[in-house]
Amino acid sequence: MKPHYSRERLTLVNELIYEIKVKDAMSREVIFFDEKATFREIQLKLKEKRMSGVPILDEHKNIVGIVSIDDIITAFDKNYIDDKITNYMTREVITVPQNFSVVYAIRKLEQSGVGRLPVTESANSKKVVGVITMSDILNKLLVEVQSVAEKVKEEEAKNGEISDKIIQKVTKKPLRFEVKGDDFDSAGRVASITKKYFQNLKVPTEIVRRIAIVCYEAEMNICLHSFGGYIVVEVNEHNEVVISAYDRGPGIPDLELALTPGFTTASEKIRALGFGAGMGLPNIKHCADKFEIKSSLKTGTFLKAIISLGEENETK
Amino acid sequence: MKIKDIVRILEAEILCGEKYLEREILDFAACDLLSDILAYSKEDYLLLTGLTSLQVVRTAELTGAIGIVFVRGKLPPQETIGLARSHHIPLLKTDELMFNSCRKIVEELIKEESRWK
Repeated sequence: MKPHYSRERLTLVNELIYEIKVKDAMSREVIFFDEKATFREIQLKLKEKRMSGVPILDEHKNIVGIVSIDDIITAFDKNYIDDKITNYMTREVITVPQNFSVVYAIRKLEQSGVGRLPVTESANSKKVVGVITMSDILNKLLVEVQSVAEKVKEEEAKNGEISDKIIQKVTKKPLRFEVKGDDFDSAGRVASITKKYFQNLKVPTEIVRRIAIVCYEAEMNICLHSFGGYIVVEVNEHNEVVISAYDRGPGIPDLELALTPGFTTASEKIRALGFGAGMGLPNIKHCADKFEIKSSLKTGTFLKAIISLGEENETK
Repeated sequence: MKIKDIVRILEAEILCGEKYLEREILDFAACDLLSDILAYSKEDYLLLTGLTSLQVVRTAELTGAIGIVFVRGKLPPQETIGLARSHHIPLLKTDELMFNSCRKIVEELIKEESRWK
């Protein structure tokens, strides 16, 4: 076992907490009360379910407040345990949107010191769709780590998971990555894994760099401009790296224009991320030894970039 | 020039990666456009930027940056710091504006150069 082994595992978990969405880890069974409930009713429920608090929802399942064990104790203390909660409950509630990464929920749990957080439908919605606790997150992480470990065992490397072990085993097999449209949080993962892969093969830094940039730009293109697609990375018999990117549309109406440096169709949102300078395709072309692009408004766009690994750098 | 020198010159706060402050900086990039960083940067460089998204760390990692400085006092979200930590990229934060940050670094580089002469 190499000394850096545990650090690599941590990297995997670190990546996972960004990848796993709150909705994948949360529990959908929400125990809640409405504003007409009394502290006594809630106290009995909390005791029965061994929970530390419950969300208070209105008739549309929108969150209006929360009652915690602390509130119950205060109610006992101040002698209003049989009163309705309306006038006493905490109305400022910390929630997490279901499409955020679990890392956001972890931070909120840590910051607020509460045990459970209501999950809302989206960042702008107050509708509660689930509840998340630290143990939900840990459970999900363990399941994911387990499934990555199983994939290593089964040598199913088709998706090129983040693992040195898998990376070594796919040396002569193509790496295939799904890329989702509009998923900015994971954009860059393909390039990151690919870079690591070729670094491990002792490919010269400058070539690895070009491969990584082509992957990243192609990945960003699929993510920013298409409905989703995939990227295949392989080494052919001429000792060249072939990076192929496919997407499912909508296609590029004017390819020549798209290849012009500075031309862009990027939205404000994309520009806010620091992209959309109109340099994506020109940059891929610049980094590649051979470059090919085809696009159809019916089937989508196909891009192929070839980078030579050089004569003397035989891959293992 | 090392990353620890930048901490001193820009009176920067270290957000993560204290272990990597001895890294030698071979080049600099001051840029708020990730596309341009991808197109023009060199290995072992220090990135100065006002962007704080996850993609900054992705871009830095892929292009071989050895550290990132957030200018204009911008604090990146926890996600950005977490990703940088897992890729062993030190993050610094300075209240200086971009132009001033560059000016201070250049002044120090000139001083360093004249010392060698």
